[in-house]
Amino acid sequence: MRYALHAEWTKLRTLPGLGWLPLLAIALTVGLSVVASAAVSCRTGCDQDLTQVSLTGVDLGQAVLAALAVVVISGEYGTGMVRTTLAAVPRRPVVFAAKGVILAGVVIPVGVVAVLCSVLVARTTLPGAGVVLSEGSTVRAIAGSVLYLALVALLSYGIATVVRDSATAIGIVVFLLYLFPILAQVVSSPDWQRHLRQIGPMNAGLAIQATKHLDRLPIGPWAGLGVLTAWAAGALLAGVLLLQFRDA
Amino acid sequence: MTSYTPTVTPGRDGFPALIRAEWTKFRTVRGWLIALAVAALIVVLVGLVSAAGSHRSCVGPHGRACPASVPGPTGPGGEPVSDSFYFAHQNLVGDGSVTVRVASLAVVKPDSPQPGDDTTHIEPWAKAGLIIKQNTRQGSAYAAIMLTGSHGVRMQYDFTHDRAGSSTARWLRLVRSGDTLTGYESADGTQWTKVGSTHLNGLPKSVPAGMFVTSPQHETVSQSVGSFSTSGFGTTAAASFDNVSRTGSWGQPGWHGSAVGDGPEMIQGPDGHGLTQSGGTFTMAGSGDIAPATGGDNTVEGALTGTFAGLIVLIVLGSMFVSTEYRRGLIRTTLAASPHRGRVLAAKALVLGGVTFVVGLVGSALAFLIVNKIRRSNGVPVQQVATGTEVRVVVGTAVVLALSAVFALAAGAVFRRGAGAVVTAIVLLVLPYILAIASLLPVGPAQWLLRITPAAGFAIQQSLQQYAQVSAWYAPPNGYFPLPPWGGLVVLAAWTAVALGLAVVLIRRRDA
Amino acid sequence: MEATIEVTELRKRFGLTMALDGLSFTVQPGRVTGFVGPNGAGKSTTMRIILGLDSVDEGAAYVGGRKYTTLRHPLTHVGSLLDAAALQPSRTARNHLLWLAHSQGLNGQRVDEMIELTGLRSAARRRAGGYSLGMRQRLGIAAALLADPPILILDEPFNGLDPEGIVWMRSLLRSLAAQGRAILVSSHLMSELEDTATHLVVIGRGRLVAETSVADLIARASGDLVALRTTARTEAMTVLASAGATVAATGTETLTVSGLPAERIVALLGEAGVPFSEVAGHRATLEEAYMELTRDTVEYRAEADVTP
Repeated sequence: MRYALHAEWTKLRTLPGLGWLPLLAIALTVGLSVVASAAVSCRTGCDQDLTQVSLTGVDLGQAVLAALAVVVISGEYGTGMVRTTLAAVPRRPVVFAAKGVILAGVVIPVGVVAVLCSVLVARTTLPGAGVVLSEGSTVRAIAGSVLYLALVALLSYGIATVVRDSATAIGIVVFLLYLFPILAQVVSSPDWQRHLRQIGPMNAGLAIQATKHLDRLPIGPWAGLGVLTAWAAGALLAGVLLLQFRDA
Repeated sequence: MTSYTPTVTPGRDGFPALIRAEWTKFRTVRGWLIALAVAALIVVLVGLVSAAGSHRSCVGPHGRACPASVPGPTGPGGEPVSDSFYFAHQNLVGDGSVTVRVASLAVVKPDSPQPGDDTTHIEPWAKAGLIIKQNTRQGSAYAAIMLTGSHGVRMQYDFTHDRAGSSTARWLRLVRSGDTLTGYESADGTQWTKVGSTHLNGLPKSVPAGMFVTSPQHETVSQSVGSFSTSGFGTTAAASFDNVSRTGSWGQPGWHGSAVGDGPEMIQGPDGHGLTQSGGTFTMAGSGDIAPATGGDNTVEGALTGTFAGLIVLIVLGSMFVSTEYRRGLIRTTLAASPHRGRVLAAKALVLGGVTFVVGLVGSALAFLIVNKIRRSNGVPVQQVATGTEVRVVVGTAVVLALSAVFALAAGAVFRRGAGAVVTAIVLLVLPYILAIASLLPVGPAQWLLRITPAAGFAIQQSLQQYAQVSAWYAPPNGYFPLPPWGGLVVLAAWTAVALGLAVVLIRRRDA
Repeated sequence: MEATIEVTELRKRFGLTMALDGLSFTVQPGRVTGFVGPNGAGKSTTMRIILGLDSVDEGAAYVGGRKYTTLRHPLTHVGSLLDAAALQPSRTARNHLLWLAHSQGLNGQRVDEMIELTGLRSAARRRAGGYSLGMRQRLGIAAALLADPPILILDEPFNGLDPEGIVWMRSLLRSLAAQGRAILVSSHLMSELEDTATHLVVIGRGRLVAETSVADLIARASGDLVALRTTARTEAMTVLASAGATVAATGTETLTVSGLPAERIVALLGEAGVPFSEVAGHRATLEEAYMELTRDTVEYRAEADVTP
């Protein structure tokens, strides 16, 4: 496993044209967070969840990290290099796990940078005291956002292993993430709205960012992250099974 | 040695052959045909899910049963309108005029104000003045001259038309001459200024004419990440008129007061007694509005929510149509067969654009018809719009899908990799739309995104129009785009053209 | 149209590497011209430039006297096979040929003829992604011949062919040349071109090394070497060396002699009474001749040979 990890890390850092994806993810996350925070006005009393507002950028940055996760595996299928990889390490679940670990190892630092920068920069534009970093719920929202990004990356990785084509995989991931918020917006039945927000990987997972009005959430913060974890686990399971039993 | 003389004579030259070749290429990859079908299907399916989750629920504060779902009134142009006001009228036969002075226009405090309600200020678009209307049914043609809460004197007719007068005049006059109706204003009752006039074609000889007052809903919107909620309450305005004079031949001897529209909040008068008269002063109170309807609930384009999902599929397809050629080295075969590289891209764009337009049209038409039918049968009061608007929404959706696919194709040629092209197209086309529509962004940034990114093209789907004379929450989550429908489509088309131009420059310059 | 390929003073730089450095040659109709050189010598780049796919920094390439990119229906002038793997895997072989035919204004009939010619009939309606490399080469040949061009440019067409396929390809190329077509075939293995190519363009490090007929090349490489078989090796060496020849022992009973014609050797040995059983002019193989030519130009040579 150690050698597999080392090999996967070497492959990832030598993939050409990949360095800009983490940078783009950070830029988009921080940019959107700042824009959203700057638009907050407290004329009618600051009832808004300012922590959540200053983490808005995660909604956008996740798409880029998902793309990174997809390219990690489908890049190999695109060039046929996966055969070389599997010849070097014939135990396929080991390869799969090694790639997943390396991916998480890249996404988590990127997520930490993106999320912390978002909160810190947003603080300068938010009215009043802004985000209080020492509060337990704020810490939970920040750490949870990083976890959220890692889970979205793993979900994407699993899906990409299943479909093997990068463009298709990115399309499916984006569809899965954003379908539920849009649907929840257009259905008029409150029950449907609540259920859609409970089962959608993005809506449920982002409940981790809420620090106010927790009783009004369709799903609790940790339960929501659990829903996303279930999505990711399902995708990873499907990925490893297909990798194991399908011809490379 | 003499050279070989070919035995095969080539067919017709040029662009049609190239288009035929690209079409053959497209139709012979089964996965791409399946993707097309999926794109159309997913537009319909997402619409069906949204329809299934939409039924009319009316658990009101008093547990009242739902009234039968009736779509609201539509104006002479077919657009949905609000048409509720208190009307003191007589029948004017033939030509004539009526003149009044608006002595006062003020808000009426509700019986049970809610905490936080602002009940001390008159609504900016509360209206009191003179109106001549085709009949007393809601939605019929009219012309009116009025004093407003804080927008001065206005001449309005047929709901969508509004012309500003002065901000100081209190005297109003409305004149009928044949089909022509003209509004005048005056500060002192002697010096009159024309505000505007209009032709109401087919106006009957005898029409109800007189004084009216109304006051629209007061709406507040609170937006949080991922959702928004609007709360509003009806307001009532009371107006008194004096110096009433008439010319021409009038049907009845006195003024008859009645409410047009039957909203539950319609109050029949300041003390519940409708029109009161003391000396030459007439006093009445009304609630509602005479204006085009607003509000993004239950729009016809709600049936096309799945467009973004179909768009994702077509973006993947569009970028793959060219990026797989680069990935396999097939682009060299293509360019060796057709050395005019710009033409190759043009042929690809035409084939992809044509195919995705046709499939997009099928998908959007099916979704529009089926989903709206289901919504209506679920009791959802889907707004009525003019047929021309419906056609524009459905066909425009197909155009958006086709342009987006071509944009993705151009991105695929620029990046030469599927992943890069798909990420770019999704970040530019799909995410701005989602962030704005799903209320993930505040309105200001959301509107900017929908102005400058290619996602502006979704504006072609909006059936609602913004009206300066109606205050409403004109925001993307509510179905309002910052650009007009065709303006938004032009932005998308411009992006697509620029991307395609860049792709042509690059494919010409780069080694294949 | 005269079926020729002319390449004049091609120069092309990739970053710091000079891929082509003033390369010129001409390919004439009616024969198969082998285009040989070590890996990385610039063969594929030259072919892409001829086909208008890559740009040049200097120089020009002409097919039938015209630039490729100015041709209408280029496939009716030049057929090419650059990379047999360049296929959309989910498209069938027939459909691959069909879109190519449509791009030249041709119809499906010609496609079926080419499928027949290349022996792909039974597999024509299968996904090309499942093809072996040999089948892909046949499909590539079918694509190159689709519009019946008088000029053919084939990059490594023997790659992946089985022995039967190699025989088929050789006879096909010979018969196509016999019809008066100009055929340029690249290979990095000279042996593949034996019995097929009658002319050679040899390049190394982006420069022309030789442009020659195969017969001349072999004659030159064979030089004046004479192989001698004798049981009296030492005596023979003494006699011939004293007559001014350079003699090398190549076996216990065989010697290679240079510097003297065969008749003179026979006469000298006869005068000295040295017994010998065979005197023959040595004939170099094409491979040897090629190795001789490219000795100094091999780009990626085994480490021991790298000049400091």
